[in-house]
Amino acid sequence: MTSPALEVSGLTKTFSGFPAVKGVSFTVPAGSITGFLGPNGAGKTTTLRMALGVIRPDAGTALLFGQPPTRRTLDRVGFLPEERGVYRKMTAEQVIALFARLKGLPANEARRRAAAALERFGLAASAGKKIKELSKGMAQKVQIIAAIIHEPDFIILDEPFSGLDPVNQAMLEDVILEQAAAGRTILFSTHVMAQAERICDRIVLMARGEKVFDGNVEEALAVVPRLVTIGVDSQDDISALLARFGEVTRLETDPDGAAQWQVALSAGVDPQHVLRACVEGGVRLTRFEPVRPHLHDAFVRLVSASDPLQPVEGV
Amino acid sequence: MRAIYLIARREYLSYVATWGFWLSLASVPLFMLVGASIPALLQSAQPVRHYVIIDETARGLDDAIQASIERERREQTRAALEAAARVSADAQTRERALAAFDADPVGQDGLNDALAILGLEDSAEMIEGDSGRLVRLEAPARTIDGLRPYLVGDQRVDTPEGSRSLFAAIFISQEPGSDLPLISYYSTNVTEQGLSGAARRALRDHVRDQALAERGLDPEEIRALSTLEPEMRSLNPATVEDAEVGAADWAPFIVAVVLAIMLWTAIFSVANMLLTSLIEEKGGKIIELLLSTVRVSDLLIGKLLGVAAVSFTLFAVWGLIGTTVMVIAGTFLQGMDPEIAGFIGEAVQPGLFLAALGYFLVGYLMYGAIFLALGSLCETLHDAQTLMSPLILVLMLPLMILVFAMRSIDSVAVQVVSWVPIWTPFIMIARLPSEPPLWEIAGTSAVMIVTLILVLWGAAAVFQQGALGHANADSVKHLFSRKKPVKDEE
Repeated sequence: MTSPALEVSGLTKTFSGFPAVKGVSFTVPAGSITGFLGPNGAGKTTTLRMALGVIRPDAGTALLFGQPPTRRTLDRVGFLPEERGVYRKMTAEQVIALFARLKGLPANEARRRAAAALERFGLAASAGKKIKELSKGMAQKVQIIAAIIHEPDFIILDEPFSGLDPVNQAMLEDVILEQAAAGRTILFSTHVMAQAERICDRIVLMARGEKVFDGNVEEALAVVPRLVTIGVDSQDDISALLARFGEVTRLETDPDGAAQWQVALSAGVDPQHVLRACVEGGVRLTRFEPVRPHLHDAFVRLVSASDPLQPVEGV
Repeated sequence: MRAIYLIARREYLSYVATWGFWLSLASVPLFMLVGASIPALLQSAQPVRHYVIIDETARGLDDAIQASIERERREQTRAALEAAARVSADAQTRERALAAFDADPVGQDGLNDALAILGLEDSAEMIEGDSGRLVRLEAPARTIDGLRPYLVGDQRVDTPEGSRSLFAAIFISQEPGSDLPLISYYSTNVTEQGLSGAARRALRDHVRDQALAERGLDPEEIRALSTLEPEMRSLNPATVEDAEVGAADWAPFIVAVVLAIMLWTAIFSVANMLLTSLIEEKGGKIIELLLSTVRVSDLLIGKLLGVAAVSFTLFAVWGLIGTTVMVIAGTFLQGMDPEIAGFIGEAVQPGLFLAALGYFLVGYLMYGAIFLALGSLCETLHDAQTLMSPLILVLMLPLMILVFAMRSIDSVAVQVVSWVPIWTPFIMIARLPSEPPLWEIAGTSAVMIVTLILVLWGAAAVFQQGALGHANADSVKHLFSRKKPVKDEE
């Protein structure tokens, strides 16, 4: 049986009396793309640092490929930290080759791969330029290449999309999917929920140092009630008809004079049941629109549920 | 080891590939060359100085001063001629040249003939005595009020070099009731003491000779008596046959103190270099990426070794240049001045240099690690300066001890401070030529190495906290003020 790429159990870390991470446990299965989400200050970076052995947990364990983080296991990991930078006076090729060599590649192979990766990322013309001469986006691409140049089995990307323009964000999304297709395990943290929803198989959500959700995307979406918006060409009150399907809200009348109703469906209710009830009740529909929930809604709901008094940041 | 090598290599190349490094490499020999040339340059750039002597005693004392200045000038010229002859001519030619110079026993009229014999006709200006630049003129006035405009530059006198102001006026008078003359020296230049000193020496000798002559001593006898001087032999009982102590025996002591001071300067500058580079790296947010790839200790040691390699490169080049220059100078001076040649020969002490290298390595690793640990807590150089101030004071102490203890390097106080491990490298290197007991060398070295290991261990712990932003300069301040630092952690 293949060991999970990462297995953390009861990780706890306190800084000067402030609990940054409180008993966090989760698993990143081999071959999965896992989104590591959470508002600012949730403890994501500290958890990742403990997972990589950069800082020592006060309690709990972190296993990479079933073993504690060692040089050998870390050589199988590619990490792009949130606080990132590279040597500004080195050329793009030198930076990539240096990190490749630090991960154990021989010098010639490191240089060969650096040249190939720069070509692949459209930076071949900038290979000999110093980092300080590159744009911010180009420098960030160099950092991403440096993180994956040694073809690691497990790639951890901390906020990889921040600082990238939409074109480069799409490019990075492709890279992540490409790496996953090559059988690599991906764990990345992000504030961009749309991307997480598109890319991730699984979600681990942190808030205030604790894990508040761990499951696949569908399970995350399931915590948010599905909505159905209904338009009716009369001003009759149909709330009694709809009430058995969930929470009913009357919306503003639309510009054509049709009354608008919204039903937050109870668990297990199919929108088709609502449609059938309306038709059988003789309601003259002008609109019937089931609304698919998004990860953003699930994120807000889960984080708020863990501490409803705290506003959710960074979404 | 791979990570340490790669970090050290990157660190090394990042310095070596800069203009600053090559400038540093070239600057020291260049500065030494300029430093060595400065006295000669200053000498040749000295202007001709004109002075007047007013002898109010009418005892011919002005002529006595002039004769003394001329005599000193002749002696200087003769010494320079002799040194030049040693290098450029065989013994016979040398004798002939000196005989030609001595053909004029009071002046320098024989100089041109002597130079012609040596084939050095073009070197007259270099060899001619310095006092030649002091020229006596006829006084344009006899009182200080009359001479004042010439001295302050309001009026000028005619000289062989053109119209000039007066450099100095020397008045010789006699107080009522005193037999001794009084010299009043007027000059706007208060730093140049050559002329006033020559005048004082001349009159001192003159009045002594006169006093002795009045007591019935023959002038020849006085001169013979003036040259009497006891011979002093300083011997070292530790050497075979109680060898006489000469300048060469001082060489290792002087070299050791110079090495200790150089060691201090080198460690301080290299550790500073390390600190600056770390703060730059922190600003560039590279540390976390590195820490997820290499161990903290690998990063720390790699950086220390990389910068150490930079300084070893500098030392190797400077050492090679210095040794070559000393060997050449030693060979060159062998014929001219065997004492200086012996001094240079003794100054080249491979054992001392090897020990200095070892002490440098340990001292540098110790201070470098401390600087790195403190640097990891700082975001800016300003923060670093605040934290470094106490450390710099601690670093200054051995230097002060060395300066004060130079003449008694084996005093109990110096022996005691040798055991303070952070000062051991500087103090022990200075003590080595006095051959301290082996147990003391071994003991202080052991304490120093144990301290180094502890410092490296502690520095790695602080470095890890500081590099990841878990501690900062405020943490240190709060530590001393016993308050909890404010944490801002993701």
